[in-house]
Amino acid sequence: MSLSLTRGAQAALLVLAVAVITRLLGGQMAWLVGWPEALTVPMTEWVGAAVGSFLSVFKPIARFFSLLLSYPMTWIGALLGYAPWPLVLGGVTALGWMIGGLRLAALGFFGLGFVVLSGYWAESMNTLALVVVSVPLALVTGAAIGILAYEYPRLKGPVQALLDIMQTVPTFAYLTPLLVLFGFGPVVGLIASAIYAAPPMARNVLLGLERVEHEIREAAVMSGGTRRQQLFLVELPAATTQIMVGINQSLMAALSMVIIAAVIGGFDDIGWEVLLTMRKALFGQSFLAGLVIVVFAVVIDRMSGALALQRPAQDRRVAWAMLAAGLAVSGWALAAGWNPDGVAAFDGVADRVDDAVGRFTATNGAALDAVKNNAMFYGLLPLRIGLADAVLPFTWGFSWTAKHGAIFYGATAAIAGFLVWRGHLTAGLVIGVLAIMLETGISQLPWPVVIVGAGALGWVSGGWKLTRLVVILLGLILISGLWERALLSLYLSGASVVACAILGGALGLWGAVSETAWRVLRPVCDLLQTIPLFVFLIPVLMFFQIGEFSAFLAICLYAIVPMIRYTRHGLINTPEELIEAAQATGAGRWQTLFEVRAPYAAPTILLGLNQTILYAFAMLVIAALIGTTGLGQSIYLALGQADVGLGVTAGAAMAILALVADRLVQGFAEERRRALGL
Amino acid sequence: MKATLRMGLSAVALITASAVGAAELGATDEPIKLALNEWTGQHVTTRVAGEMLMAAGYKVEYVTAGMMNQFQAIADGDIHATLEIWSSNVSDQYAVLKDEGKLEELSDLGLEAREGIAYPAHVADLCPGLPAWEALQDCAMNFATAETLPQGRLVDYPADWGTPGADRMVGLDLPFKAVPAGSEGALIAELRASTEKKSPLLITFWQPHWAMSAYDVKFVDLPPGEPACFEDPAWGPNPNAVNDCDFAPSRIFKAGWPGLKEKWPAAYEILVNYTLSVEDQQPMMGAVDVEGRPVEEVVSEWIGANQAKWKPVVDAATQ
Repeated sequence: MSLSLTRGAQAALLVLAVAVITRLLGGQMAWLVGWPEALTVPMTEWVGAAVGSFLSVFKPIARFFSLLLSYPMTWIGALLGYAPWPLVLGGVTALGWMIGGLRLAALGFFGLGFVVLSGYWAESMNTLALVVVSVPLALVTGAAIGILAYEYPRLKGPVQALLDIMQTVPTFAYLTPLLVLFGFGPVVGLIASAIYAAPPMARNVLLGLERVEHEIREAAVMSGGTRRQQLFLVELPAATTQIMVGINQSLMAALSMVIIAAVIGGFDDIGWEVLLTMRKALFGQSFLAGLVIVVFAVVIDRMSGALALQRPAQDRRVAWAMLAAGLAVSGWALAAGWNPDGVAAFDGVADRVDDAVGRFTATNGAALDAVKNNAMFYGLLPLRIGLADAVLPFTWGFSWTAKHGAIFYGATAAIAGFLVWRGHLTAGLVIGVLAIMLETGISQLPWPVVIVGAGALGWVSGGWKLTRLVVILLGLILISGLWERALLSLYLSGASVVACAILGGALGLWGAVSETAWRVLRPVCDLLQTIPLFVFLIPVLMFFQIGEFSAFLAICLYAIVPMIRYTRHGLINTPEELIEAAQATGAGRWQTLFEVRAPYAAPTILLGLNQTILYAFAMLVIAALIGTTGLGQSIYLALGQADVGLGVTAGAAMAILALVADRLVQGFAEERRRALGL
Repeated sequence: MKATLRMGLSAVALITASAVGAAELGATDEPIKLALNEWTGQHVTTRVAGEMLMAAGYKVEYVTAGMMNQFQAIADGDIHATLEIWSSNVSDQYAVLKDEGKLEELSDLGLEAREGIAYPAHVADLCPGLPAWEALQDCAMNFATAETLPQGRLVDYPADWGTPGADRMVGLDLPFKAVPAGSEGALIAELRASTEKKSPLLITFWQPHWAMSAYDVKFVDLPPGEPACFEDPAWGPNPNAVNDCDFAPSRIFKAGWPGLKEKWPAAYEILVNYTLSVEDQQPMMGAVDVEGRPVEEVVSEWIGANQAKWKPVVDAATQ
C-alpha cells in the first residue's frame, strides 16, 4: 500500500499523525507542547560570553582598521561637504550625459535639484560619503569572495552559506558587536552596510565567471598565460556585464543599509533625519527625508544599471560645458552667500501631507477601527492563538465549546474525505493538518508538529539532506529558549507572506495582462522598495495604532513588492512558440494564461515567493518599532541594552527561520524547473 | 524632598567650586565632543552647555549618537560628555561601564522630570471621574481593543525601557492589559491618533516633553510614589501588592569620559555645576518643535537673554 503513496502523501500522513497524537495527548503531557524548561540551554549567555571574548581579542585590530577607514571617510566627507552644491549638481549631470545621454543627464539634474531644494543637502552629502566609502569596500570583498569560490570549487558550498548568513542575519543584531569592535562613529555604519552589500557582488562575480564561454577560456589557455593572467585579462573582462549587475545590486543594498545603521548615530545623515521625524510621528517630513533617499537610489540605480549595457559614446564637450556651468553657478552662490540648507522648498507640502494624514485619521476613525477589529477577530487572532481561544462572546458573539470543535473537525473530515475520494490524497491530508493548526494556533503549536512538519516539507522538496539541515537548525532554536518568540515571529511573518502571496500574485497578474496597470504599479514598487522602511510605520500607526495588525500591514507593504515583480516577470516571459502552439490549438486568452503561462512561470513565481519570505523576515525587525512581540522585539531590546548575547542569538534564530523557509521554497522551485525541463 | 536634595547638591558644588577656585583650561585647541541624542529637549540641554563651554574658551563639537549606544563611545573617549540621561531609561551597559570606572557620572542636571499614567484631555469625557485613578476601575471597558478584550488597553513604554505601566496595573489591580510601544514615535502616533479621533487612550508618559502641551496630556492622580510603596505590600490601596502608587521621581543626570577632568579641568567643573530647569528648557523645546525654529537660534537667543543664569558657573570655573 505504502508503495503506491507519493512522497508528498507519505510526508503529509506522517505530519497528520504527529499532529493528531500531540493534539490528543497534549493535555496530559505538557512536554509534548512546550519544550521543557529543564532541557533548555542558556544559549544567549554562552553566545554572549563567546562573542565577548572574541571581541576583546580582536578589538585592537578592529580599532586600527577603523582608524584606517576613518581617513578616506573624513576626506570624502570633507570633499562632498565643502564642494559647492552647483558643482556636484553639474558633475552628476555631466556623468549622466556621459553614461546615457540626455535622458540620464536630465535624471541627474532634476534628481539632485530636488535634493538641493529639499533643504537636506548637507545631510544627504554625509549619506553619500558613507556610500562612496562602503561600496568599494563591499565590491572588493565581494569580488574576492566570488573569485575564491570560482577558483576553488570545494569552497563554493561554504561560501554560499556564508553569503546567505550575511544577507539574512538582521543588521540590528550585529550592530552592538560592531560598535564594541570598531568603536563609535560612522565606521560602524560603513562596515554594516559593506557586510550587507558584499553578497550580491560575490554572487554575480561567481555567476559571471561560471558563464564565461568555454571557447574563450580555451583560447586563453592555448595562448599560454599564467592562471592569474587568464583570470584577470580574459575571464573577468568576459564576465563584465554580469559583474556590472553585481555592482548595481551592491550599490542599492548599501544605500538601504546606511539608513538602518543611522540608529546608532555618529553621523548627521539622512537616516538620522528620518529617525528624528519618526520620533515625532511627523509623516510628511519623514516622507520628504525618505524621498531624498529614493531620489539617490533611482539616480544611482539607473546610472549604474546603464553601465552594464552597451552604449554609444557621447560628446565630451557637452559634459565639460555642464561642469563649467556648475562652476559658474558655484561662483555666484559663493559670492551671493546662497546656501541650500535654508531653502526647504517642500516643507509646506510636507506639512500638508502630514495634516492630511491627521484629517484622514480623524474623519475615518470608526471605519479604520472596524477594519482592524475584523482583521484581528477573524484573521490574525485565530491564526495566533487558535479558534479554540480566539472565539469568545465579545469577538465572534459566542464561545467555542466542544460542540463547535466537533462540528469544525466533522466538516474538515468531510472535506478531506471528499478530496481523498476524488483521488487527491495529499490535498486531503494537508487539509487535516491545516485544520489542526487553525484550531490550536501557530504560536501554540506543539514543537514536534513544527519540527516534523518542516522536516517532512524538506524531504518532499529536497530529500534527506534538506530534512537533516532543517531539523538541526530548528532544533537549535528549540533548545536555545527562544522557541516561543520564534513561533510568534513565524506567525506574524507567515500571515504576512500568505497575504502578500495572494494579493501580490493578483497584482502581478494584473500587471502582466494590462500595460497601463504596470505603468501605475511599477513606480509604486520602486518607491516601496527604496524608501527607508521606517517611513511606513508612521501612517500605519496613525491609522491602526500599536499592535499586530499594524505590524502585519507594515511587513506586507514592503514584502509584497517581489511577489508582484516576479509574478509579472514570469507570466510575460513565456516563450513565444509555446503561446503560439496553445493558440493554434484554439486556446483563448485566459486559457493560455492559466494553462500555459502560469505553469511555465511557476519557478519564477516561487522565486518571488522566496524573496517575499526573506523581505518579510527583514521587515520583522523594523516592525518591532511598532511594538510587536517575538524575535524582532528581542533583537531591538538587545540593541538598546547592548546585550550582545541576546542580539546575536535572536538574530541567528531569525536567520535560521529565513534560511529554512528559503531552502524549502527553493527546493520546490528546483523541482518545478526540472519538471519543465529547464 | 527632591528639591531640597538638589539645593543641597548645588550648595556642595558651590563650596567645592569656591574652595578649588578657578581651574586650568587644559587643551583648548582640541574640541570637546558632546553627544546629541534623539530628542529635542536633550538638544537644548546640550547646546546650552556647549555655548557655556565656548564662552569659557573651548572648542565644542556636537556628535549625533543614539541614546542607548552612546555609552561605549564615552568609555572609549570618542564622546566626552552626555548631558541628559534619564534614570528611567538607561541601559544596563551604563551601570556596567560606570562600575568598571570607564565612565563617570557628573551630577544631576536639575531638570525636574515626572513620569506617570497619562491621557489626552478629551479622554476625561469618556471616563468621568478622571484624573482620580479609582475611576479607571469602572471604565476599563471603554479602553478595550481587539487585542486586550476583556481588559482595557494601556500603552506602555517600549520594552527596552522597562514595563512601569504594567507594574502599576498589577499593583493597583486595575483591569488593564499593558501593550508595549515599539518606540517613542509609536507613543506619539498613539497620542496624535487618539486626539484626532477623540478615541480613548491610557498611556505611560513623561514630562518635560513637547507632546504634553501639544496634545494636552494629563496625568492620572495616583497615590504618591514613596519608597515604602515599592518594598512593603501593605502600603497603599492594595494591601497585597507593591507598586500600587505613582512613579518614583526620576533622576536626570550627566555623565562623561573619565579623562575629562585631567584634559579639560575647567570644562569638567562647568559641566558638573551646570543645571537647567524645566521652566527654561520647556519654552525652548516649544520654540523648536511647535514653531519649527532651529535649535541653534533658539539656544543662542536664550544664552544672550539669560546671562545671569549661566555666566556665574563659567566664571567660577575660569576666573
